[in-house]
Amino acid sequence: MSERENDAFETRSRALFQDSVDGLDMRIRSRLTRARSMALEAAVENRRPWLFGWKMWAPAAGVTAAAILGLGLWIGSPIGHQAATLAESNIEDLDLVAATDEGSSDAMEMLQDDIDFYDFADKAANSGPAA
Amino acid sequence: MARFDTLNTAWMVWDNPAPAPEGAVLEYTRELEKFLAEIERRAFRMAQVALRDPDDALDVVQDAMLKLTRSYASRPSPEWRPLFYRILENGIRDLQRRRTVRKRVMTWLPGPKEDPENEAQDPLENVADSAPPIPEKLMQAQAMQQLEESLRALPARQREAFMLRNFEGMDVAETASAMACSEGSVKTHYSRAVHALREQLGEVW
Repeated sequence: MSERENDAFETRSRALFQDSVDGLDMRIRSRLTRARSMALEAAVENRRPWLFGWKMWAPAAGVTAAAILGLGLWIGSPIGHQAATLAESNIEDLDLVAATDEGSSDAMEMLQDDIDFYDFADKAANSGPAA
Repeated sequence: MARFDTLNTAWMVWDNPAPAPEGAVLEYTRELEKFLAEIERRAFRMAQVALRDPDDALDVVQDAMLKLTRSYASRPSPEWRPLFYRILENGIRDLQRRRTVRKRVMTWLPGPKEDPENEAQDPLENVADSAPPIPEKLMQAQAMQQLEESLRALPARQREAFMLRNFEGMDVAETASAMACSEGSVKTHYSRAVHALREQLGEVW
């Protein structure tokens, strides 16, 4: 098959295709126009600065509000209160032991020397009242 | 940073600010609309050639438009066309795959003997046109129908290459970008497509 014949074939098929495009009925044309409008609306929606899109902020605002509410409820509840008190007392104990003022080294030494006594006292307390 | 000689000039600039971003959005939308309007009918016909059904073709074109505008519209405008056709071809292939699966499932299921799609058609669509068609037009329509049948018989990649190069008028580089393959492959697919089509249509064309 020659190059010229190929060219003629290509030209003819292109012309036929273009004719069929030009001859599209109104129903198809109108549906294509509608599809185009929808696509353009989507494009404009995408193009808006994201900072101003309320849809962008709505989930974040919801999560933040829920977190604040949860924290408030937790602090107000007995469990939250107990946890806060326990944390406070632990910090106080730690302060006593780790104090850097005078005599603090004595306290540490005392804690180390009497560790056997504290161990015994703990076991005695757990085994019930002494006979 | 802008510098103002007097407070008045500052207020004048404040009252008449530089072009608002909305103007840029409008310009961009206009360009996108022009592109879509230019391409939509040919894209529809190409989808119809591949899928046969006009409603399926419309759905695929609409999906491709939406995907392009949602995900790729920020790309430079010369890239839109290959991207659009790549999305379109993927949509066509997906639909053809789904059809094949559906057909396999339907062969196992008992169903109505008549095609329900034909029943749902508007009877007015089947009424013959009162005006007799011009013979030349009729011959052209027949020739196009034969071409469509032959195109459907081609392997998908050859059909794709032929339609993009011949119908859409893309150059080799653009076609390669749309088909996500090398330029050499495009040339091979196209040449084989022309050869096969000429062999099939040689006698009737």
